[in-house]
Amino acid sequence: MNILTSLAVGILFAAGIYQILRRNVIRAAIGLVLISNAVNLFLFSTGAYNGQAAAYSTATAQISDPLPQALVLTAIVISMGGFAFVLSLLYVISTRYKTSDSDEVKGLKN
Amino acid sequence: MPDFLLVLPLLILGIGIFVALALSRSGWTASRMGGLLLFFPLAAFGVTLYAFSLAPEGKALTFSLPWVPSLGLNFSLYLDGLSALFALLITGIGTLIVLYAGQYFGDDSSAWRFLTYILLFMLAMLGLVLAGDLITLFLFWEATSISSFLLIAYKYKDEAARKGAFKSLFITGGGGIAMLAGFVFIMSISGGADFKTIFASGDLLRNSPLYPVFFTLVIIGAFTKSAQFPAHIWLPEAMSAPTPASAFLHSATMVKAGIYLLARLNPAIGNTDLWFWVLSIFGVTTMLVGAYLGFKQNDLKPLLAYSTVSQLGVLVALIGQDTEIAFKALVISILAHALYKSALFMSAGIIDHETGTRDIRKLGGLRKQMPIMFGIISIAALSMAGLPPLFGFLAKETLLASATHPSLPAIVDLLFPLTTVLAGAFILAQAALLVRGVFLGAPADEKHPPHGHDPKIWFWLAPGIPAVLSLLIGITPVEPVFLVDFLAAAAKAAYGAKVKVSLALWTGINVPLILSMIAITLGALILWQRGRIRTWMMNLLPNFTLNTLFNGTVSGLDSLAETATKLQRGQMRFYLRVMILSMVAIVLLFSRIPLTMFTQNLHWDIEGLNGLRAFSLVMIVMASLASLVIRRDLHAVIALGVSGLGVAIWMALDPSPDVALVQIVVDILSTIILILSLNILPRKQRNKANELLHSRRGMTRDILVAGLAGLVMAAITFTALNTRPRDSVVAPYYAENSKPLTGAKDIVGAIVVDFRAADTMIEIMVFAMAGLGIYTVLHFASRKAGEHSQAEKTKLNAEHTPLGIHGLPTSPLLHLLAYITLPLALMLGVTHMMYGHDMPGDGFTAGVVISLGIAMWYIIFGYEETRRKLPWLNRVTLIASGLTLSLLNAIGGAIFAGGVAAPVDYGAMFGLPLPPGFGLTNSFIFEVAIALTVTGTATLILDNLGRPRDEEKEAFEELASIKEQA
Repeated sequence: MNILTSLAVGILFAAGIYQILRRNVIRAAIGLVLISNAVNLFLFSTGAYNGQAAAYSTATAQISDPLPQALVLTAIVISMGGFAFVLSLLYVISTRYKTSDSDEVKGLKN
Repeated sequence: MPDFLLVLPLLILGIGIFVALALSRSGWTASRMGGLLLFFPLAAFGVTLYAFSLAPEGKALTFSLPWVPSLGLNFSLYLDGLSALFALLITGIGTLIVLYAGQYFGDDSSAWRFLTYILLFMLAMLGLVLAGDLITLFLFWEATSISSFLLIAYKYKDEAARKGAFKSLFITGGGGIAMLAGFVFIMSISGGADFKTIFASGDLLRNSPLYPVFFTLVIIGAFTKSAQFPAHIWLPEAMSAPTPASAFLHSATMVKAGIYLLARLNPAIGNTDLWFWVLSIFGVTTMLVGAYLGFKQNDLKPLLAYSTVSQLGVLVALIGQDTEIAFKALVISILAHALYKSALFMSAGIIDHETGTRDIRKLGGLRKQMPIMFGIISIAALSMAGLPPLFGFLAKETLLASATHPSLPAIVDLLFPLTTVLAGAFILAQAALLVRGVFLGAPADEKHPPHGHDPKIWFWLAPGIPAVLSLLIGITPVEPVFLVDFLAAAAKAAYGAKVKVSLALWTGINVPLILSMIAITLGALILWQRGRIRTWMMNLLPNFTLNTLFNGTVSGLDSLAETATKLQRGQMRFYLRVMILSMVAIVLLFSRIPLTMFTQNLHWDIEGLNGLRAFSLVMIVMASLASLVIRRDLHAVIALGVSGLGVAIWMALDPSPDVALVQIVVDILSTIILILSLNILPRKQRNKANELLHSRRGMTRDILVAGLAGLVMAAITFTALNTRPRDSVVAPYYAENSKPLTGAKDIVGAIVVDFRAADTMIEIMVFAMAGLGIYTVLHFASRKAGEHSQAEKTKLNAEHTPLGIHGLPTSPLLHLLAYITLPLALMLGVTHMMYGHDMPGDGFTAGVVISLGIAMWYIIFGYEETRRKLPWLNRVTLIASGLTLSLLNAIGGAIFAGGVAAPVDYGAMFGLPLPPGFGLTNSFIFEVAIALTVTGTATLILDNLGRPRDEEKEAFEELASIKEQA
């Protein structure tokens, strides 16, 4: 199981990094979502035990660790907020520099 | 009150600086300004002397002012014999220098700048020697570096002055930084910065395993400042300063700072083998190098500068020795050197001033023209040469006595006296050369004999006073008791134990006297054969210079800085690559994941791998890879959505329905927002950027970077999962207590809204802030771009044709779908809120589900129509009411259950008839608050990102024109 989770996280992360290195800024935004998915999945998997049943007090089998779940639950929503904010910045880039190419954003220097 | 007296000299000099600045516009001549300003250092001299006289026998006066109490930093001052010796030299010679500088610049009314710098430097120097702790000392130390930079670069139009100033700042400033690091070590070992603490922990410091480290660092600071070999190269070049500055910097002040530091710290960190050897070796080397180089010079100022270097070497070597006689020699030498060297420097300036040259090849025979100067220079030079009956003779005698002291290690038995005699002989020859070259014999250049005459009394008085003092101290038949006591106090402070000082010239025929005679004879020989010796020296060591090394260092640093600047090329992707690769490097370097961890755990355990799991993995991998290779942005976004759903399935399989549910709805909403946002970037721009997407070279590089990052991330995950502790304290607590404490069956829901309610509250605030941030950013961006004038908006409002997000008409069937979905979404959301406590789902899910219903409207009807049709959808009201409700709910818990956000069952409390399975609890109210906030924020996001932009407006106009034609 661990190897599969690592694989999923690694591939999501690599794909995200590749995307944020593209010149098209919308691709960078896509990359950001991929990275946050990778990180959320990673956090989610770090529970103390892999349970057999969902974390309900009525469960009879071993439940899955509820703590990372609760943390990731809010993290998912927050990352959406952050991601939407990035999108608004893309709009600023587009209107101010008249481009979607991050290499043409020259305001970073001087 | 004596405490405050310590601050007074500094304050007086500070006022002096302001007076000098105030005089800048007065148009006064320099001599007039000097005449006024000299009273400030004079007053400081007097106050310091008075303060020292008040100090109880053998005790130091201290003053301390809290500066940064939280860091234990104080501004503190300290006055004992050693500080007093230096402070009085600084202010005493400082007074003469100000007088002299005024005369030197004469009628120049712009010399206020120089006088200000001199006073500034004097203040820094005085603060340095009066400092009561290492940090205060360091501050003033750096202040001397900077103010001496200003002095050396005074003639800033002259390139040599600028270069010399830079060199001195570079070397002494760099040394200062090393010294600060050394101080930090000393402070952390001794537990305090003030000298009392440091002196008390001398043994602790000496026995510390870090001793070599901080010793080296402090030594670097002291050696660079005091121009010890090989850092001596800055001193001769600093001669491009106006002579008053050179005289001050190189006789009594700047270069003595390192000596002061070493003497000051000697009781704490001195008296070790390392201390002895390092100080001896560098001191003796510097002594010889200075004596040798000085002998080669023709210009009076460099000649004097090198003899200063030599003298500094002597002082350093003396501090290295742990004998009473050495410290006696130290204080006598400091005083003697300060007196004769300041006199000589100032006289050299007068010679230059009156005759127009300082080159001994052009001078000579001035004896009759300048009898007073002849007298002054002769006395000072005799003192420098160490001839009786002058003070310098006494200094040399004690020096030789200390060099032949029986307590020194056997190896240096012969070496010390020998080198001292040799250096003494050279210095003697230099002194004789000086007098002879300037005054005696015939002019060196017969065709152009020098012309000059003695200056006004105020001018020659400045060098005259120290010169006469050199003579007086030597010939006085009665030992001046106060001076003896004063020097003994200074030596005691540096040595750490009582030192007996006597100023008697004649102590009988003994070894030092014999050595002294040898030195004088040898010096005379050198003088006699000087022409031959000089030629021989020139040929032997023609390029004996370390400037190449210095220049290489400087240009190396320059190119390093240039390379570092090139890294910042303003290209965001480049920065990202650097960051990502750095992250990879840091993990690889410092994580120390044992390789066995992988070899032991790397087996394909198929436990838990079932069809669904495999499916979701394939889904994640394929969809995220697809989003990379697909060219059209829209399709790539959809692939991204699919990948997110794969993650959701993975989560559901764990099993954790709550998280999976949130992941699903958030993923869909993110995808919708992204699709809506596609149109905030004009298609032309995106297509252009996409065309550049597939340059092969860049792709290979990025694939490598991304692959590396992915590998590292996978390794981190693998390690984390394999090494995580398998027993949790927290999880069983939540599992056992969620039902009894909060009445929730859903443990995850209980954690979110009850156990960690405060956390969740802050998180919805963050989410709301992200929404408001988007609003702000877009608002300002639009205003800057001059878009969306109000008039246009009303025009668009009048248009009733429902148009989808890309400005295209949508079908009525879709309209019907939207009409049906929104109420369903609302119902679903309400159910989530009501039963989220016992079932999967919660306020977050509810909010996002409702937002999905609304998003559908944005897609199908477009922005304007949605705003018109759903007037209740006021995002700010939603956010505000959500946040207020969550706050009120938390306060309600405090009122009714005695704890902020504590569980309260309002339904049971008021006996309300409620459907089974539903409780009007604080958790429910919180869920509602969460849902309201999330809905409001999501709407705000949709609103702002889904607003029609230029492209859409074009579509509108196109449509309108088509209609008209029809």
